[in-house]
Amino acid sequence: MFKEGLLALVGVAFWESIYMTIISTFIAYIIGLPMGLILVMTDKEGVRPMPIVHQTLGIIINIVRSVPFLILMLTIMPFTKLAVGTTIGPKAAIVGLLVAAAPFIARLVESSLKEVEKGVVEAAQSMGASPLQILIKVLMPEAKPSLLVGSAIAVTTILGYSAMAGFIGGGGLGAVAINYGYHRGQTDIMYIMVVLLVIIVQILQELGMQIAKRTDKRL
Amino acid sequence: MDKKEIMIHLEGISKSFPQKRGSLEVLKNIDVQIEKGEVFGIIGMSGAGKSTLVRCINLLERPTEGRVYLDGTELTCLAEKELREQRHSMGMIFQQFHLLMQRTALENVCFPLEISGVQKDQVKARAKELLELVGLGDRLGAYPSQLSGGQKQRVAIARALATEPKVLLCDEATSALDPNTTAGVLRLLKDINERLGITIVVITHEMSVIREICNRVAIIDGGQIAEIGGVEEIFRAPKTKAGRELVYHEGTNREAIEGPIAHCYRVVFRGGISGEPILGGMMLECNAVANILSGNTRMIDGRVYGQMMIQLSEDKETREKMLAYLKERDVEVEEVYYV
Ligand SMILES: Nc1ncnc2c1ncn2[C@@H]1O[C@H](COP(=O)(O)OP(=O)(O)OP(=O)(O)O)[C@@H](O)[C@H]1O
Ligand SMILES: [Mg+2]
Repeated sequence: MFKEGLLALVGVAFWESIYMTIISTFIAYIIGLPMGLILVMTDKEGVRPMPIVHQTLGIIINIVRSVPFLILMLTIMPFTKLAVGTTIGPKAAIVGLLVAAAPFIARLVESSLKEVEKGVVEAAQSMGASPLQILIKVLMPEAKPSLLVGSAIAVTTILGYSAMAGFIGGGGLGAVAINYGYHRGQTDIMYIMVVLLVIIVQILQELGMQIAKRTDKRL
Repeated sequence: MDKKEIMIHLEGISKSFPQKRGSLEVLKNIDVQIEKGEVFGIIGMSGAGKSTLVRCINLLERPTEGRVYLDGTELTCLAEKELREQRHSMGMIFQQFHLLMQRTALENVCFPLEISGVQKDQVKARAKELLELVGLGDRLGAYPSQLSGGQKQRVAIARALATEPKVLLCDEATSALDPNTTAGVLRLLKDINERLGITIVVITHEMSVIREICNRVAIIDGGQIAEIGGVEEIFRAPKTKAGRELVYHEGTNREAIEGPIAHCYRVVFRGGISGEPILGGMMLECNAVANILSGNTRMIDGRVYGQMMIQLSEDKETREKMLAYLKERDVEVEEVYYV
């Protein structure tokens, strides 16, 4: 009885976590990737220097990144309410995840693109490439392996965030761990959840690294 | 004689970089005219401003003052978009190749064609042709990491030639290569110059590169042109200190011989090895030995020249006799005070 119930519970929580993580990562990239690209392009040393845009964006990103996730979720509640009409449950959790993850992704993207050798960009400029062509045909493809490594880091971090979102009823493995383990004192369930999270992170991280390695032509 | 057409005209180019305090003046009022179809060398010591100068030609670096003309068109006054258009007619290759690491050799050569809007179905065929031209027809699918340095530079050359430029700029294109590979790449450049008529600008700190392929050379020292002229002329009789440094010390290890040395002469004779019998004859005639410090033989513009650094006898009379012997045989002799 206990086992069956637990298994079902874990199964549901597991898929909830995966679902939440994938959706949030996907949407967070839609927001964070362009932010990262703008950071790189508008940099002082970038292809299209625009100091004011660069600094403003940088400051916003730093502010959001400096607030711990749990506190961030609480402080943006009015915004969450406005966006999805509620401050608890999976939907509200996803809003929190996005706000926290997008700036993080922007920084990951920025650092990946900055790894591209300056000389290669210069060579493209010497051939008459426009800033947009440099972005699309040089920076992004050259940084692809690094961007993939970054995405593995992003997805595992977001999985961690999603577990914390259990506190506001976000569902998933984190919620089960908090409800059963913390509130009801069933520490065994809590440990099972933790082990599951550890396994998922390992798998995602390894998968990301493998794909990145496969696509990298630098050997 | 018909007037030579000018391909690149640098007019009063100065460039300074802003520093924490004040600014660093790297190029000072440089005037150079590079003729259509020639291979023009720019040589100088490290930090002389060679790279900065060549980057001023395609405006990767904006000169602080002065104008740049390409085939009669002023580049310095163009808007970004027009400048990009003009850059399609200037290829550039670099010491570190700067290939796209995630693209194959073929795709690398496709790149400039893609960005200059060549029709898609023509891009691949043209790129393949170019790789065949540089002798890499069998490595189309190789990634840069799978190619040797010389092969990478060939890909870079093919890439630079893809848009059929009027000018090819080479910044230390062979400095990362071993002597054999260097010779191969230089031969390819010469061949391209002769077959396609492309004007080539070669930046280097090695006199041997200049001698190998250039028609004319400018010696740059401390951000200024110290000397400019035909390669043969400058090799035979460099007029400035910077010129002498570059010509005399070529290929010799400066630290190995400690200067200053007394009674040291640089002799240059036509016909390479034929110089040795002359020296032998001199020693027999004067009954004294000359100490040979270094020597080499060079091809310049299809003619052989031998250059030697020799130290003559301590005895003034014997020394003068030796010098007279050499001068009689049409050998250029010049005393040098440091080796
Ligand atoms: N972007 C820059 N900012 C500041 N100083 C620079 C910059 N680029 C070059 N310099 C300075 O200009 C001088 C000339 O540099 P340049 O690279 O043109 O020399 P070079 O003749 O090509 O030397 P090398 O043979 O070592 O390549 C150097 O003192 C260098 O420090
Ligand atoms: Mg240089």
